This record gives sequence, structure tokens and C-alpha cells, in this order.
Amino acid sequence: MKNTLRQVFHSSKFVVGFVIFVAILLTMFIYPLVNPGNPLQMIGVGTFAKPGTYVSLYDATKTNTETFRLPDADEKRLVKLLTDADRVAMVEWFDAMGISVEGLDISDTDALLDMWKANYDPAAKPKGMTQAKRNFYKRLNNSIAEIGAAETLIITEKNEETGELEEQGKITKTDYVNTSAVANVKTLPLGTDNFGRDVLKELISAAGTSLLIGLLAGAVATLVGLTLGLLSGYVGGVVDDIIMFITNIFTVIPGFVLLILISYSIGQEQRGATVVALVIGLTSWTWTTRSVRSQVISLRNRDHVNLSKLSGHNLVRIIVTDILPYIASYVVMAFILQVSSGILAEAQLSLLGLGPRTTEVPTLGLMMNWAMLYSAHTNGSWWAYFPVILTITLISFSLNLMNTGLDQVFNPTLRD
Amino acid sequence: MKGYRKYFGKKIAWFLITLVAAVILNFVLPRLMPADPVSAITGKMAQGMTDASAVQEIYKRYEAEFGTNKPMVTQFLIFVKNLFKGDLGTSFSQYPRKVSDIISSAIGWTIALQLPAILVGWLLGNLLGALAAYIRKGFDKVLLPVSLFLSNVPAFGMAVTLLVLFAVNWKIAPIGGGYAFDMIPNFSWRFIKSVISHYQLPFWSIVLVSIGGQAVGMRSMSIYELNADYVKYARFLGIKDRKIVGYVFRNAMLPQVTGLALSIGTMIGGALVAEIIFSYPGLGSTMYSAVTAADYPLISATTLIITFMVLVVTFLLDIIYGFIDPRVKAAQFDA
Amino acid sequence: MGKKILEVRNLKTKYITRFHEDVFAVDGVSFDIEEGKSLGVAGESGCGKSTLALSMMGYYFPPLHYISGDIIIDGKNISGMDPDAVRKNILGTEIAYIPQAAMNALNPTQRIIRFVEDVIRVHEPGASKKDIRERATQRFAELGLPASVLDKHAVELSGGMKQRTVIAISTILSPKVLIADEPSSALDVTSQKMVIKMMRELMEKGYIKSMLFITHELPLLYNVTDDIMVMYAGQIVEKGTAKEMVFDPTHPYSHGLMGSILVPEEGTRGAKLTAIPGTPPNLKKPPQGCRFAERCKYARPECRYTGIPERFFGENDSRMYRCLMGVDELKEVYSHE
Repeated sequence: MKNTLRQVFHSSKFVVGFVIFVAILLTMFIYPLVNPGNPLQMIGVGTFAKPGTYVSLYDATKTNTETFRLPDADEKRLVKLLTDADRVAMVEWFDAMGISVEGLDISDTDALLDMWKANYDPAAKPKGMTQAKRNFYKRLNNSIAEIGAAETLIITEKNEETGELEEQGKITKTDYVNTSAVANVKTLPLGTDNFGRDVLKELISAAGTSLLIGLLAGAVATLVGLTLGLLSGYVGGVVDDIIMFITNIFTVIPGFVLLILISYSIGQEQRGATVVALVIGLTSWTWTTRSVRSQVISLRNRDHVNLSKLSGHNLVRIIVTDILPYIASYVVMAFILQVSSGILAEAQLSLLGLGPRTTEVPTLGLMMNWAMLYSAHTNGSWWAYFPVILTITLISFSLNLMNTGLDQVFNPTLRD
Repeated sequence: MKGYRKYFGKKIAWFLITLVAAVILNFVLPRLMPADPVSAITGKMAQGMTDASAVQEIYKRYEAEFGTNKPMVTQFLIFVKNLFKGDLGTSFSQYPRKVSDIISSAIGWTIALQLPAILVGWLLGNLLGALAAYIRKGFDKVLLPVSLFLSNVPAFGMAVTLLVLFAVNWKIAPIGGGYAFDMIPNFSWRFIKSVISHYQLPFWSIVLVSIGGQAVGMRSMSIYELNADYVKYARFLGIKDRKIVGYVFRNAMLPQVTGLALSIGTMIGGALVAEIIFSYPGLGSTMYSAVTAADYPLISATTLIITFMVLVVTFLLDIIYGFIDPRVKAAQFDA
Repeated sequence: MGKKILEVRNLKTKYITRFHEDVFAVDGVSFDIEEGKSLGVAGESGCGKSTLALSMMGYYFPPLHYISGDIIIDGKNISGMDPDAVRKNILGTEIAYIPQAAMNALNPTQRIIRFVEDVIRVHEPGASKKDIRERATQRFAELGLPASVLDKHAVELSGGMKQRTVIAISTILSPKVLIADEPSSALDVTSQKMVIKMMRELMEKGYIKSMLFITHELPLLYNVTDDIMVMYAGQIVEKGTAKEMVFDPTHPYSHGLMGSILVPEEGTRGAKLTAIPGTPPNLKKPPQGCRFAERCKYARPECRYTGIPERFFGENDSRMYRCLMGVDELKEVYSHE
């Protein structure tokens, strides 16, 4: 046993898979401790806030300021101010005025601005340009001009009695606040989803649920498969015929289809994560049954099993002491594969709208389903779906790597 | 010849048995469940008060078509009789369209997309796996983990990734659908071009996903074959390595046909979900809209048709395998 | 003395395991075979006799590696040759091999005739299909195999038929030396007899000029081969004519082996050579002294440390054995048992 374990951990594939898997597991356990709270809580009102650190504007204005004169502050403001669309619009102006833009790089803010200042004329009326468009350029020109000016923002408060605005403070361009002094700063490494929920928190919780679903589905499938395989292989005869008949039927009828039929018929109300896991498990045991059966058949007439039979040991004891230890490695490998296909099955079901009830826990499949329903993929909110895909892939990849590693240890012909 | 007849006879018998089992399951499973959609339908009829009369009309029609107020056995007989007539009922969500009509307009898209995609993925995967097994060393070190990783990307994940990269970001492919939304299907060159350009992303996403798994399987199979005794013997008779590799790949490739037959059921699940991502007008999208609209007759029919397709493909692959691998014939003689 | 067809001089080869350890499976083996003669190799499993068979082909692939020594076939030394030259000019025509597991020796999905074509075309690239079929049909007929075999797949043949087909294919180019590695074990008695008959025919009809026959079944060797050598832990411990070896073994190991079987009769399936207690030494680190010392009833302390010379005796020094004790000394010891 010890020796086998050592061999297993000598397999680089197993070790890599194991490390990834353990890292995912640790994240699942540690992150909620560091950042507790309900993963389904909607903290945002809008949908799909970008990943990043959010500073409360209100708190920031109430925080003591320091004055810094940073030489590149204006330039940075300009860069942020001029969106790509604005820059393209500026080039359109040059074109309309017949000014050559040869060699101009629109990402070079300085060059663009120099050219703009030299050539823009609010009074000019380029041919075919609408009034609205001309006004757009005027506004653009004004905001560019403001950046350089020593402008000050005034914070006012409405006096309840008089209804007049009273000045409370000023904000100048050289005022800075220390983020640690601001009362409310929220970092959202993966932004928020369509419901305004913290994607990272949701993802970690979802990965946990999905893994549990996978484990439960895998356990059910392995248990059913193992029992049927042992019975079929060891008892043989009519029992074998019947079990194999059923197994063969369920091997060709796609489990995914059965899963859809059953999940739909169970109904949204009854479809908790546990039920989904059970259904997945109950539709995916055929592989295990087949491989366990063939293993048991090759073991059935080995000397040590015959000896045990002659000694009058009962069926259960023979199976537990003389057969199970020999097929344990296969069963473990089958289980690992079932877990990963269980996770995938949940995700696919959820994408079809047949996943677990949506109100209690997030799962990877549900997150994916929400992201797709709210068109995260077409509106550029990559953080709502890409981490989900990556998580599913990584969990499944790590499990399969471990499986390949085990396979190489237990099937020597595959060794390198 | 006797061996073959026995083999094909057995396969045909199995095909029929599984088909019957599939039909029974398709009928019985939903009716065994707690929130049984069929009785829900009858239930909805009873509370006609709250339902608009048009809706009630729909359910009435379903009741008449499938005799849901009659005993189970009678219901089953009606179900089978309707199946033979090609009558799968009337859709709830697209009333009064017949389910068979909806399915027949979707099935062509699914077959045209998935069959070639799965086959190409299988072929490319096997080639790569064989190369990895033969070259080993560096190539294998890179290829195996990459294949393993690829095979673990879920089909929908690959679909979304390709969609975002090629359609949303680089805008070199259409975002979804089977053809441009402003067109009416016809045999013009413009339409065919549109179909082809809409075909690319769904096709390649299914191909990419299936390559990995096939490559990994083929690699193990080839390594196993490369260690076989006949390889050693052929070498000692002076036969060139390149020729021996030819033997090995043929032998490793043949069981992969059965492998494909066995995994096609799993692969199709992922591929159907990929269809949804691309709003491809096939069975996957049909199923999705049926689920969303709680259109039970359509769901039931779609699952049945998909099962039927998988059974037919599996059966055909088994038959082909029987012809191309002499080991099958020998096994039948032994048995 | 006849013409020497095969000479092996101090051949050494090793296996390199996946943990990069060397296993010296053939460690300084020398012998020769004259034209028209057959030599048997006997020994327990793991003694290196199968490795000796593989090593003599002059064609090495991992995990087997050549270290040193000469293999001379009909005056031509093949041990230093380029592997591709060996493949093209030696294998099949000069030296041929019959593997241990004929069950799996043929590609299961290929028709026999296609394989025969591949084999012949290694040496005669231009040979026509018709020509090859004629030659194969004729040779198969002469060896008592039906021509219908040619159009079958290996999986369609019975075990005995497969083995005979393998023998026919191996010798189709009439090699000078045939190396047969347990060609008849794992077969039923009838098939075994047919295989042995076939091997004899090959020699009688001149399709092969000499044969090295490896087996763990001693009675078989007595019936099939002219001479016998006994191998232990990668080395030859004794060599002599079949009769001498069976009835008058010298080395304590041969003595133990022969003592473990009854007087052999033709076709008797021999007792396995496991009658001597103990196991052979680990060939990753061969012992300094006599390799058999650990299991030898007559071993003296010095046996374990001293290098053991080959000793020759008999007519023209035709017999060889490897022991510290003299022939008479050993005879004396055996007579007291």
C-alpha cells in the first residue's frame, strides 16, 4: 500500500493533477473564511461591473486630502478622457477639412492634440457635416480645453430650511485622498455579474457546489456500477445475463438524453443540487459496471479466490477480502472520471435551463447559464463566463491528469 | 461468412432491442416523476378558469392526441401508433405547428453540423495520438498535456471562447444562427455562402473539443500496440520500422471505431449545448427553446429523435467495424 | 569437423531498465555451431536464454543494448555492422528468429500472404506478387501447410497452425542460422509434435543450415538437438553433446537439472527445471565469484570470491564447464549421493 502510494506520487502527471486539484480545494475552503458572506447577495444594482477596485465617491469627498503636484496628471486625464471613438472622430474632422493625417498615430495623445489645437476651428463648416456633429466637436474641444485649466469642483449641500445650495468644500485637481483613509473601498477581482453579485465569491462557492455535485454523482455511479459489476462478474449465469442486458441498453442510449428527460419531468421545484447530482449518478454507471465486471471475471478463478471459496467463506467476505482489493485501483480511477463528467453534466444541464433550482446555491453551470442569458459573451463581460469555463476545465483537467497518472502506474504497458 | 452473419444478426437484434427500450423509457420516465409533465397538462386543463381559452384549446388537443385521461397501457399504445405514423404531437409553444414539422426542419442542421465535426475531430485526434505515440520524447511531452487540457474544455466553453474571439472581438465570423438573419433559405450562391460562414465556428468548436479525447485514447492504444509481439517479430524479419508503424496504426485505429461508437452518445450531449451558444437552428437549440417554453411534446420528441440518431450511428459504426476488422470475424467463430 | 556456420565470441549485452539500471542478461557467451548441426540451450526462466536469442540477431532496440563480442555467420562478422545493413542483408536471409509467443507474433489484421510479401520484399524489393505467392505456396506445401493459410488472417488460425505458419515465414528465405525460442511450449502435445517434426524437416531439406533451439524442457532438447549447452545467470555453465549432457553432466547445476528429470522419452513433456532450491542471482550486480555458489550443494568458501575459469576436457577438449572443481573431483562427489 505504502509502496503503491509512493509509486503514484512518482508519476509527474498525477502530481501535477493533484497539486492543481488541492489548490482549487484549498481556495474553496480558505476564501470564504477571508471573505465571508452570502455568495448570492446582490451588491451591485447595475449589471456586469468591470473587475477592479471601487472607491466610494461620497466617502472620498469626506476624506482629508493631501496636495500633490504630479507632472503627468493632466496628460493622464486627457488619455482617459479621449476615448477611442473620440480619437476616430477627431481624425474624421481632419479628413472632412481636407487635412492630411498621414503618419498620425491616434494612440499618440500628444501628437493628436497638437494637431487638433493647430487645426480645429469652431467656426468652420465642413461640407456635409450636420449641426449635431459640429456641436459634438465643440463639446469635445471644450472638454479638452478644460483639462489644462485650473478648474475647481465645488461641493454643495442643500439647506433644508432655505432651499439654497451651501458650499461645503472644494475639490481641486491637485487633491488626493489615501485609499486606506476612505471608509468604503471594494475590490472586485472579477467584477459583478448580471445580478450585481461578486463574481469571484460566487465562483468559488459555485465551484464547491459543483464539486459536491460531481462527488455525489460519482459516488452514486461508482456504487451502482461497482455493485452491478461485482454481481454480474462474480455470480455469473442468469444474473450476469440480466445485468449485462440492462447495462448494454443503457450504454447505447445516451445518458445525456435520459438526464434531460428526467430533469425536466422532476420539475423546477424538486430540482435541488442533491437531486440533480443523484440523477446524474443514476444515468452514468454503465462504464463502471462494464470494467468492474471484466476485472472480476478475470479474478474469479484465481487461486486465492478458489481457496477462499473452499474455506467456506461467504460471498460478502470473498468479495471484500479477495476481490475488492484487486480492483480497487480501477474503481478509484472510474470514480475520478465520474466526478469530472458529473461536473460537466451539471453544467450542460444548467445551460439547457434544467439545472438545480436557482435560488439557493450557485453552481458553475448556473453561472454559465446566467452569463449566456444576459449576453455576457456578446457585450464584452468576459469576467462573467471565462473564469467559469476555466474553473470547469481546470477541475476536470486535474482529475483527468490524476487518472492518467494512476493508469500509468497500474497499467505498466503505458509507461514511458 | 457464417461468422459475419452471426455478427450482423446480433447487431441488428441489439439495435431493435435498444430502440424498443429507448421508446419505452422515453414514454415511461416522465410519467414516473413527481412533477410528471403529462398529469400537469391534464391538471392545467382542469383549472381552465385561470387559463385563457386558447391555452386550454392547446391542452385539449394534447389530451385528445395522446389520450392522457386513459390508462397508461392505452396511452402507450396510442404513443407507439402515433410514432409509426410519424406523428409526434402538436407543439405547445409554436401552436399549431406539428412537432414533427419543427423537428424535421432542425434535424438536417444538426446532422450536417455534428456528423462531419465529430468525424473530423476523430480523424485529427487519432492522427495526433498516433504521432505522439510514435515520436514520444518532446512531441509527446507537449502534445499529451495539451490534448488532455483541450479534451477537458467543455464543448460550450470552447464554443463561447471561439465565439467571443472570432465573432465579437475580431468580427471575422458571424455571431450566431445558421445563416444571415435577413435571408430566406434558398439555393442561391449568396445563401450557401452565408451558411458556410455561419458553419465555421460551431464546426471547429466541436472538432477542437473532440480532438483531445481521441488523441489521448489513440496514444495509449498505439503505445500498447507498439509493444505487441508481432512488432518485435516483424522487426526481426528485417521489416522497416515505417512499415511496422503502418501495421500498428491500423490495429490501434480499428478499435477506435468502436470507441467512437461508444462515446458518440456523450459527445452529442456537448455538441447539442454548443449549438445553443451559437443559436444554431438544430436540435440543440430546439430543445433549449422547448425547455424554456415548457413545451413538453417538443422536449419528448427531441430526446427521442436524438436517441434514435445515436442508435443508428452506433449501429452503422458497429457494422462498418465488423467489415474492416478481421478480429471480429474470428471472435464470432470462437464464440 | 564440419564447417562452422555460426561462431559467437564472448558476447555481452544488457538491458537498461526505465530506472536507468543495467541488467547484464548475457555476460560473455561463446559457442559455435557447425553446418547441419543443431544446438540446444537449456536453463531456468530468467537465465538469459531468451535474451541470448535476441542478442544474436545483431539488431538491437531498447531496452536491449549491445556491449561487446562477435557474432560471425558463415565467416561474416555481423556484430559491428550498421543496424540498417543488418536489417537489409542479414535478418531473414542469414539468421532468422522464431519467437516464443507465436500466438501474438503475427499482425492480427493482416492476411498472411501480405506479410510474406513484406518479408520477401525487404530483400527483393522488385519481387512480384504472383512470384511471391508461388514461392510461398510451394514452401508451405513442402512443410505440410495448406495453401489456404496464405489468404487468412492470423486471428483465424489455431495456435498450432499459427506457430507452424510463423516457422514457415521465418525460414522462407532459407536462412543459414535459425534461432528458435521455445517454439513448442504453450502448445498441446499434438501440435508440439508437429512443430518438432517441422523443425527436423527444415534441417533435412536444407532450408536451414544450423539451428539454435532454446527451451526449458530438457527431454525435448535430447530428442531434437545434437548438442546442448546449459545457461545460468547469463553465462554458459556447461556444453557437450546431447547424450553426454543428459547422461553424464559435469557442472553441479547441470547435474541438478538432469537429476530432476527421468530418462527422457520422445515427446515426453518435461518436468520444469525448478528442482534446485533457491533463486538465480540478481543480474544488476552479478556476484564476483561463481554465480551458482549460493545454490550449490558443493560450494566452498573460495567459490564466492574467485573468478571461475572455463575448463575443457574430453575428446579434443570438446566439452566445457565452468567450475572450480575438477572433473574427477565432481564425479567423486556425485558418486557418494
